[in-house]
Amino acid sequence: MLKCRDVPQHAEQLLAGDMTPGQRFSLRMHLLMCHHCRRYLRQLRVLMGALPQVAEDSTDEEVRRVLDRLDRQA
Amino acid sequence: MTDADAKDPLARLQEGDRAAFDQLVRRHHGALLAVARSFLSGGDAEEAVQDAWISAHRNISRFEGRSALKTWLTRIVINECKMRLRKAGREINLDISSDEQDALVDRFKDNGHWRRPPVAWEFSTPEQLLEEKDLQRCLKHHLHAMPENQRLVLELRDIQGHGFDDICNMLDISASNARVLLHRARTTLFAMVEHYQETGEC
Repeated sequence: MLKCRDVPQHAEQLLAGDMTPGQRFSLRMHLLMCHHCRRYLRQLRVLMGALPQVAEDSTDEEVRRVLDRLDRQA
Repeated sequence: MTDADAKDPLARLQEGDRAAFDQLVRRHHGALLAVARSFLSGGDAEEAVQDAWISAHRNISRFEGRSALKTWLTRIVINECKMRLRKAGREINLDISSDEQDALVDRFKDNGHWRRPPVAWEFSTPEQLLEEKDLQRCLKHHLHAMPENQRLVLELRDIQGHGFDDICNMLDISASNARVLLHRARTTLFAMVEHYQETGEC
């Protein structure tokens, strides 16, 4: 039987689409019975959806320094 | 639209079109800097990425398209960073140390059930989470504070969206190793958001 303790790792595999049908089935069964783990999965999804948007852009200065070096190289 | 614009961007790059290359720099420089900063500190990281661009510019005609251009560039940056570390007699430790646990380890009872179950967040979408500016700052703070090997894998996978297998290849680490590093990084951030929800503090 899948335990709550296993769910964080399994939830990540689920979100990555990296699960055998058997694993997916036992996770589903567990989630049906456990609202704590349902909440965990739901909130993990929110967090992972937000992460691509915290990417840091480069500044114009940083880009300019690259282009300057390419100019000198040419 | 002129002929030059209509052309495949990769073809333009490979013919040495400088404007197309500048565009490539603008598009990817931020992401490449973020990767380099997991290996090296500020000025060194920037220099390493600049060197990587010079080398990419020199070699782009030989890019065969077997990987995405983004992956190709990232690989050049990673190799440049590793070379600089090696010269300095250092290296990034991509192993998983067994004395480190994930942030949820104390949250379960011996029987495997939750001891302290997750608290409910007040945001139900990524957009709502990001609207909270203090939380966004806190997320970035914890991202920078976590062990560099965890941050690197999370940066590549969850922030920049590189393929899992590409990441293992680029970093020369096993899939199980990468999975553990990712898991630790993600649970750290999960616990952090939760702490913020409970206390309003970072």
